[in-house]
Amino acid sequence: MELEPKNPLRDFSPQLEKTSIQGYVWIVFLLAVIGLGAYAFFEQLFKGHEVTGMRDNVVWGVYIVNFIFFMGISYAGALISGTLHLFKTAWRKPIIRMAEFITIIALLIGPCFILLCIGRLDKLHYLVFFGRIQSPITWDVIAITTDIFGCFIFLYLSLLRDLAVLRDYELLQLPNWRKKLYKVLALGYTGTPEQQKRLNRATDIMAAMVISIAIIVYSVLAWIFSVTLQPGWHSTIFGPYFVIAAVYSGSAVLIICMWVFRKVYHLEAYITQKHFVAVGLIMLVLAAFFGYFTFSDYLTKWYGSEKNDELLIQLLFKEFYWPFIISNYIGVLLPLLVVGIKKFRTIGNITLTAIVVVIALWLNRYLIVVPTLESPYLPIQDARPEWLNYTATWVEWSLTAAGVAIFCLLFTLASKFITIVPVTGVAGEEKKEEVLL
Amino acid sequence: MKRVFALLLILAPMFSLAFSPGSSPEEAKTDSASTPVESRMALNYLCGSDSVTLTATLSIKKGDITLALENAPVEFAAGDGITSKPFGKAKTDQEGNAVFKIAASSLPADKAGMVTYGATFAGTAKYPGANASVTAKPAKIKLFFSIEDSVHLLKVTATQKNEKGEDVAIPKETVMLYIPRLFSLLKIGEIALDETGTGTLEFPKEIVGDTLGNLVVVAKIEEHDVFGFVQGQNVINWGVHKQYYKAEVPSRELWTPIAPLWMIITLLIMLAGVWAHYMYAVYELVMIKRLSKKDKPLF
Repeated sequence: MELEPKNPLRDFSPQLEKTSIQGYVWIVFLLAVIGLGAYAFFEQLFKGHEVTGMRDNVVWGVYIVNFIFFMGISYAGALISGTLHLFKTAWRKPIIRMAEFITIIALLIGPCFILLCIGRLDKLHYLVFFGRIQSPITWDVIAITTDIFGCFIFLYLSLLRDLAVLRDYELLQLPNWRKKLYKVLALGYTGTPEQQKRLNRATDIMAAMVISIAIIVYSVLAWIFSVTLQPGWHSTIFGPYFVIAAVYSGSAVLIICMWVFRKVYHLEAYITQKHFVAVGLIMLVLAAFFGYFTFSDYLTKWYGSEKNDELLIQLLFKEFYWPFIISNYIGVLLPLLVVGIKKFRTIGNITLTAIVVVIALWLNRYLIVVPTLESPYLPIQDARPEWLNYTATWVEWSLTAAGVAIFCLLFTLASKFITIVPVTGVAGEEKKEEVLL
Repeated sequence: MKRVFALLLILAPMFSLAFSPGSSPEEAKTDSASTPVESRMALNYLCGSDSVTLTATLSIKKGDITLALENAPVEFAAGDGITSKPFGKAKTDQEGNAVFKIAASSLPADKAGMVTYGATFAGTAKYPGANASVTAKPAKIKLFFSIEDSVHLLKVTATQKNEKGEDVAIPKETVMLYIPRLFSLLKIGEIALDETGTGTLEFPKEIVGDTLGNLVVVAKIEEHDVFGFVQGQNVINWGVHKQYYKAEVPSRELWTPIAPLWMIITLLIMLAGVWAHYMYAVYELVMIKRLSKKDKPLF
């Protein structure tokens, strides 16, 4: 039975006012993982990239995979939240903020992995002073910077109504500094017709902007690979392929977030099976597109029979057999089966499928980056196996875990600062300003 | 929740399988912590026109793993097989190689002209010592260039010292000819020396040199029972002059002074469009803030 929402802010007050013991344990655990990552980072900083598995041959590893992955779910959050907003989708309200949080948090974490990959951080400012517009890396720096600003503005616009509600809800037991902060951030918004008109206009424009920027920025990321002549990367469909893969992985992350916050904050009345099925159907459609792009990409490479493409495909089906199967078969077929067949569409099944999809899509990025670098055009001298092949070290895994932990921590802290479900207009389409107090 | 754990249990072995193609040197080191360490040394010898280059390669063997030993002092010596004269020390690099040059004029030799070269690593508390030696007779290869009837000719002579210390020809040997390229030596031919220790080769055309057409030509006697490795080299400007590509108009290459105009215009239009919308959104926020002063709160 679906529960009906009654008073959202009264329901959400506890999550804003206090943190349970389990909550503190969770935060301490995340901090411990981040601490391990910090230790690994200093190990890398003082000893150099020798402590990673990256060598002359495979110069990109798990860090770049994580970068692509986090940027992907960020753009997916932007695309999903922007699209749901623009089309005024009736069921969007309870989940749209999670999508917005995913966008910003992942966007802050993703580029950090690039910094971990750079050997000479002391020369990072050269990117600004000596960056060449001809370089796809420069395109990426410009695009990501632009995207960060845009996503922050969009998030802020969509938070404004709730910030005003939190400012004015007197029953909320919060420290003074937080109330003051809400007051400052609410910008004196009181929901007058003129303010509503301006806010709606700005939000609509920014929703359209974040959608287009997300597509462009992730395409730019794909072009970093596809403008090279490397086997497996030199593909004209890489731009749209990356965008589809990004939204696909992002929809799965959104489902996982929905499941977690529904359980932790008892949001059964707001996030219902209807929402899981709706996002699950988005995931299903994206799975079909992702499968189509993947098949198209590998089919043309295989049929073309270029020497290095053939070597790469052989490598994928031998040394990377299981990641390839999980990524390109299980990761595509499972959502089609689970969400496609009505009787399988339970919240648990859809969440489980989303977890598999996230793993599959991470592996997909790994398979794009590493096997290609392990099959270079030019032979290298002194070809020791540990130089030719890439295996991530504990340093890289620790920093990967720290990235995930920071994502979880920032999400947790964000949900402590503002309600994870918007309290304005949560009952459905708001034709007028609707505050459920 | 149980299903999530079940899934993780299923996927964990897959991950471990997927990402463990082999053990890293660090893991191997740990596994063989109790295995005794053995030091190994190899000594390579190359005789140039004025000096002899000795390369000692030092490695340690620990179980199944062999690793280069870096920063280890290696002492080099040369002698007549009975007595040995120390010449100096060099430290190994990260490849385990210690390189030392000895002037050809100062080499002690036996009656047959043979010199025994030695390299010794004394060892440390952690790694046992090791040594290696090689015996060879010093020799010289010289290269001469000439043009006869518009034909470019390369003449090679190979000599050795006799008992009186005079240069005498090395007859009936094969000399390999190379030109160094980016990664390795490009073989351009081989010459069979005659009784006078001399051989000639028509120099190939259309080999790309530097911007002035300079080519380094290397001649080698390789793995000889008596002479070992002997090398001589010379430079000649018979190569094709290298033409560096110069873009006439701005192009995508990173070294071009400015990006193509279409690229700059596209970027500017996109950035201007995007940032103009951002500014508009910020303007609306400012207006919302201003409107708050005029209206009464609704909540």
